[in-house]
Amino acid sequence: MASAAIETERLTRRFGALTAVDDVTLTVAPGQFFGFLGPNGAGKSTTIKMLTGLLEPTSGSIRILGEPFHAGAVELKRQIGVTPEGMALLGRLTATEYLHFAGRMYGLDLATTRQRTEELLQFMDLASDQRKLITDFSHGMQKKLALAAAVIHAPSVLFLDEPFEGVDAIAAGMLKGLLQGMIQRGATIFLTTHVLEIVERLCSHVAIIHHGRLVANGSIEELRAGVASRLPGEESSRRLTLEEIFLSIVGAEPGAVAQELSWLA
Amino acid sequence: MAGVSARPRWQDRGPLGGLARAQYAALLRARWQMLTHSLRTPEGYWELGARGLGVIFYCMMGVGLSIGLGFLAYVLAARGEWSRMRLLFWTLLLIWQSVPIGLAWFQGHSDMGDLLRFPLSFGSYFLLHLVSGVADVSTLQGGLCALGIWIGVAVARPDRAAWALAAVLLFAAMNVALVRLTLVWLDRWLARRRSRELVGAALAALVLSVQLLNPALRKENTEHRVPRHGPVVEEPQGRAWPQGTARAAEAVDRWLPPGLAARVLAQPSGGEAGLALAELGVYGAILMALLGLRLRAEFRGEDLSEVAASGAGARAAESVPMRGAGPIAAVLQKEVRTALRSMPVLYVIGAPLFMVLVLSSLLRANATEGWGRTAIALPACLAYALMGVSQLIFNALGTEGAGVRLLFLSPTPVRAVMVGKNLFHGSVFALVAATAWVLTSVRVGWPNDVLTAATVAWLLFALPANLAIGNQFSLKMPHRMDPGRLMRRRGSASSALLTILVQFGFIAIAAVVFVGCARLGRLWMAVPVFLLLAAGASYAWLRVYDGLDELAAANKERLIETLTRME
Repeated sequence: MASAAIETERLTRRFGALTAVDDVTLTVAPGQFFGFLGPNGAGKSTTIKMLTGLLEPTSGSIRILGEPFHAGAVELKRQIGVTPEGMALLGRLTATEYLHFAGRMYGLDLATTRQRTEELLQFMDLASDQRKLITDFSHGMQKKLALAAAVIHAPSVLFLDEPFEGVDAIAAGMLKGLLQGMIQRGATIFLTTHVLEIVERLCSHVAIIHHGRLVANGSIEELRAGVASRLPGEESSRRLTLEEIFLSIVGAEPGAVAQELSWLA
Repeated sequence: MAGVSARPRWQDRGPLGGLARAQYAALLRARWQMLTHSLRTPEGYWELGARGLGVIFYCMMGVGLSIGLGFLAYVLAARGEWSRMRLLFWTLLLIWQSVPIGLAWFQGHSDMGDLLRFPLSFGSYFLLHLVSGVADVSTLQGGLCALGIWIGVAVARPDRAAWALAAVLLFAAMNVALVRLTLVWLDRWLARRRSRELVGAALAALVLSVQLLNPALRKENTEHRVPRHGPVVEEPQGRAWPQGTARAAEAVDRWLPPGLAARVLAQPSGGEAGLALAELGVYGAILMALLGLRLRAEFRGEDLSEVAASGAGARAAESVPMRGAGPIAAVLQKEVRTALRSMPVLYVIGAPLFMVLVLSSLLRANATEGWGRTAIALPACLAYALMGVSQLIFNALGTEGAGVRLLFLSPTPVRAVMVGKNLFHGSVFALVAATAWVLTSVRVGWPNDVLTAATVAWLLFALPANLAIGNQFSLKMPHRMDPGRLMRRRGSASSALLTILVQFGFIAIAAVVFVGCARLGRLWMAVPVFLLLAAGASYAWLRVYDGLDELAAANKERLIETLTRME
């Protein structure tokens, strides 16, 4: 049996008195498109930071592609692609220069880096303005470039933190195509996003984190069945959307307003 | 995507392996490209020019110090006074270590944190940190001074040139490691409220103990002089104490890096010199290990943010008592809260005070009777303290980041915001000036009343003048300041250079008035002169205040772009 692509065992991260990620144990199989969901501040980005070596866990362990993972695991890091929170682009480079930089940082030779840069820029529709600095790119263009930099070395495992935020419908469709292509070729993708429609369409498995704790984990069908079983009568036979599943699991009513703001017109 | 399946061909590891070398090359290339792209705008040329001027200025300073130390080294080596050579190495150490603190408001630092998502080994991270840190003013000036000492020794005693070279090189390497170590640990300590308080308390205890020790030592010295001028009395028992202390200090000094470097030069036999050299190497290794310990924590993904660390810091900042519901009060309150959580802000306030301590000690050591260096201690120290705070005044919007948009979206006039900031910076300066005043008075002594009045009058002129010019600079030449961590601060050489030039202008005005009035024998005249200038400066501040909204509107796009764009 092949090793899991991503495996965490009782992963915990505390910031002083605050436990941002609490005892999270999960397994992502190779080739899986895995959606990692949660409300704002639930611990998604902290988990991704730990899984990519940007943040040290307080306790617990991480295995990537069957190997123990830590910040100094250079060979493993070469098989990982990341679009970090905030993208971490170098604003005063052009897109071409940045992709050349990223390719070389991942250890690609110059010829391969150049070839892939050209292909990625064409694919992402970023090739038109070669002299434009990244800082002058629109938010969506920067997102596409961050994704291009994350895949230039053909990673086996890709971590994406909100890759569709601020991306237009055309670009989002193109990005989805790219990610699905990677999955078909055997890559594993760990995705966090608030766009549940995208998760429903792309991901085969989903985990939900709430207040730092993993509150659900399984295929979307499994989660759907689990939530439906708790619903009364005819409701249970209705096909629930991922949004309904999500809101049910994190304990929020659809369309609920926590407090009436009488002063708000 | 064609070609995506190809695997990287490098398999070798380590900080000098194929992958690491390719990464260094990629980084160098990216830095070069960023530099060339920065020259697309006039501001980029101006920034590069300012950096060039800064390097030339510091090179000239370094060459001057180098010549002085080289000459002293030559004299000491020629006379065979090797034991005194350690004083030169102590001076070199002081220059090397105090420059980064003294120029905290000038230099920017490279942030290596963004590289951690790439497959970078710890060795590479360590090496990159060290190399990027070497390229700073302290290495430039320290290196020139070290070269001067070596040339001085080599010319006077060519037979010891090789040993001197080894000692100077090792001493220089140790200093580089010590500077990096100091800065990264300072960053770590200042990042958390609790450690910040501990370091602050330790520093206060150190300053206090120095103050308590001084009168005791001065009393001893006074007692020694009494028999020379007065009746013969029994030798006080305390006389042996300073000599004993001196001997003890010398014995300890032998084992400290400057003493060890001097011992390498002093030993005629290779064995003794080799041993001292090896001991110096041990110091370097220990410092490197401590630096590695700190960087290892950073590399493993340490999070030093104040909010993440604990809610205590936030609660402390929120508990700042402040009344007032208007926008000016809101800005003032926000400034206080931000400052309490901001490393660069705390550093630019604290670093000048440290330098005031050093400066006042130097002036005290060189004090002459009457109207000598003691007299200029207070104005000089206050001018230095003002220079530190001026970095905040001249870039008042630097820590706003993307929040600057709110200034233009809200109905509050920009001039109201700037008044809030001016009030905050004025208060900070008052605090720094008061502390500097106390430090200087205790170290050097209370200046005469006329000088005190003249200094206060000068401050009344310099502060509003600084605020008036600073408000214009803040809106016309803003640069982004990362309030998160000291070592992740990106400086603007052009802004720093202009700030320094303006401060030199104020100091020059003070010098002309002070010296002019002193020459006339009417120092008191400096008071009305400065008060007149203060009235002019206040009027200038009001004029600038009236035009702030217009100025902000004219520079709106530049402000938003500069403060919100990614680096």
